[in-house]
Amino acid sequence: MKIGPLNIPLKEDFSLKSILGFEKTPVNMLVAVSVLAMLAMLVIGVATYLMHGHHAYNVTREHPWGLLIAVYIFFVVSSTGFCIVGSLGDVFGFKDYTMISKRAIFGSIVTIMAGFTVIAFEIGHPVTMMIYNVLSPGLTSAIWWMGTLYGLYLTFMIIEFYFLLNNDMKKAKVFGLTGLLVGLAAHSNLGSVFGFLNARTISQGVFYPTYFILTAFITGIFLSFIIMGFRYKLNFDEKTKKLLEGLAKIQGLLISILIFFVTWKLLTDMYGGMPNRAEVAGHILGSGSFWTEVILAMVLPLLIILKDFGKSPVLFFWASLSGMVGIFFMRYNLVHDTQLKPLQMMKTREYQLPPEWVHYFPSATEIMISLGGLGLCILLYYIGTRAFNLDEEEGH
Amino acid sequence: MARYGMALDYKNCINCKACEVACKEENGVLLGADKHRIWVGQNEVKGEWPLIDIASAAFLPSQCQHCDEAPCQMVCPTNATYYDENHVVRVDSEKCILCSYCMNACPYDARYVDSRTMTVDKCTFCSDTRLARGETTTACQNTCPTKVRTFGDLDDPNSEISELLRTREHFSLKANLGTKPKLYYLT
Repeated sequence: MKIGPLNIPLKEDFSLKSILGFEKTPVNMLVAVSVLAMLAMLVIGVATYLMHGHHAYNVTREHPWGLLIAVYIFFVVSSTGFCIVGSLGDVFGFKDYTMISKRAIFGSIVTIMAGFTVIAFEIGHPVTMMIYNVLSPGLTSAIWWMGTLYGLYLTFMIIEFYFLLNNDMKKAKVFGLTGLLVGLAAHSNLGSVFGFLNARTISQGVFYPTYFILTAFITGIFLSFIIMGFRYKLNFDEKTKKLLEGLAKIQGLLISILIFFVTWKLLTDMYGGMPNRAEVAGHILGSGSFWTEVILAMVLPLLIILKDFGKSPVLFFWASLSGMVGIFFMRYNLVHDTQLKPLQMMKTREYQLPPEWVHYFPSATEIMISLGGLGLCILLYYIGTRAFNLDEEEGH
Repeated sequence: MARYGMALDYKNCINCKACEVACKEENGVLLGADKHRIWVGQNEVKGEWPLIDIASAAFLPSQCQHCDEAPCQMVCPTNATYYDENHVVRVDSEKCILCSYCMNACPYDARYVDSRTMTVDKCTFCSDTRLARGETTTACQNTCPTKVRTFGDLDDPNSEISELLRTREHFSLKANLGTKPKLYYLT
């Protein structure tokens, strides 16, 4: 398809009919119905938000960031992860990984678009944001840098994808490398949104800006297994098996480093019983959601990799699904745990109990918009698989 | 231009909450327990009769500390939070995008969302009301029956607050965070 000077090579049979013409197997039908249900939830959630604003959310003065912030982080981490995995082949030249580059870069575009959709309904005034981000930029704000760099990153990813589609590997490499660097900068800035919170001793410091990059790579590998699993319906050919075995081995190393990081983070948090920090760490260790994150995103996938050093891609596909559920809890815990401890510890009303832990559970609207973001992401990805040839082309 | 601050002789506070009422009345602050620009903190009284620990029952009036190095200002992505000509930390509701980063970054929990504008609000030292009318006191100070609060120009060596800070020992809340608050608690 030609749009001005641009040549976008769409699949010849791409049409509404080809989108709806998927094989009607029970699994496909289940996914299709789930996506439709999630999109319906997005519509209902957004309509409720437009009628009631932030009152439709369970965020409070003490817990101003809720589920939507966690889901935004979940999507942008996924995007950065896809970008890192996609760059292995087309930027760094690892031949075994080239076959996933185009698919992963497309994944990075759809995940960040889903993230932007979700955050648009969390930021109270998104239009004001777009105006004053430019007219009155807060250069000391990690949110400003994160948002601006992610905007640039999306632009570079789209340009890289365009050149990948046209098999212009040289230009794809240039824009891929630029996009990767901007993406990593954006992503570590997202970590610093938490790392710069001097008042929140549990988050403050260098940990999150670096941890975000590590967990992005891990997320990218989990997602690579999932998209390749669906692409090949779990019947992987030899070349794909080689790719996935390599990725699984890298994943084993990354998860081990992550466990090492998290262990030391919690040990330093607990050590010496520093006020606020140690009690929050103790509270985290006693929470079910933290252990869900540990088991689903760390222990289970690592054990499966260690079983035969990544030679069971089908098994690791399932472990990757569990891993992504764990990664969701990781993001939710990060946001919630940061706000666990009230900043004002005296009671302000008579007959009131002194403040303790801050409680939060997402509202139905927050849950619907979050699931809607997931539905949108899957839908966009599916349309992409119908519109573009996301496989590696022979001879390149 | 002045550099306004406030000294609080907090041990004189009797928790009558007249300051909270005056603030809401003067500045049109919404009713509701979580919609307040200022508040009086109260510890649980320790001990049991007859050995009640009277010293633990102190009240601690608090509000935005109008920090010289305000974390809320640093984290604001659109500079909606700014220092005005009197070094008062203010919020420009036109620019506020309600990302809530400032609410998370403020070590004193001094910010809340105003449901009318759906933007973040906080104490302004009565800049839009009393100071704008040329008065030199805040509503909370003016109404306090035990004269807990002294508001004034920290740069004026002859002001009452400067005199108080020269002659009375004082501390700031969470001073270790380096925010340089302009609320001083007299001991």
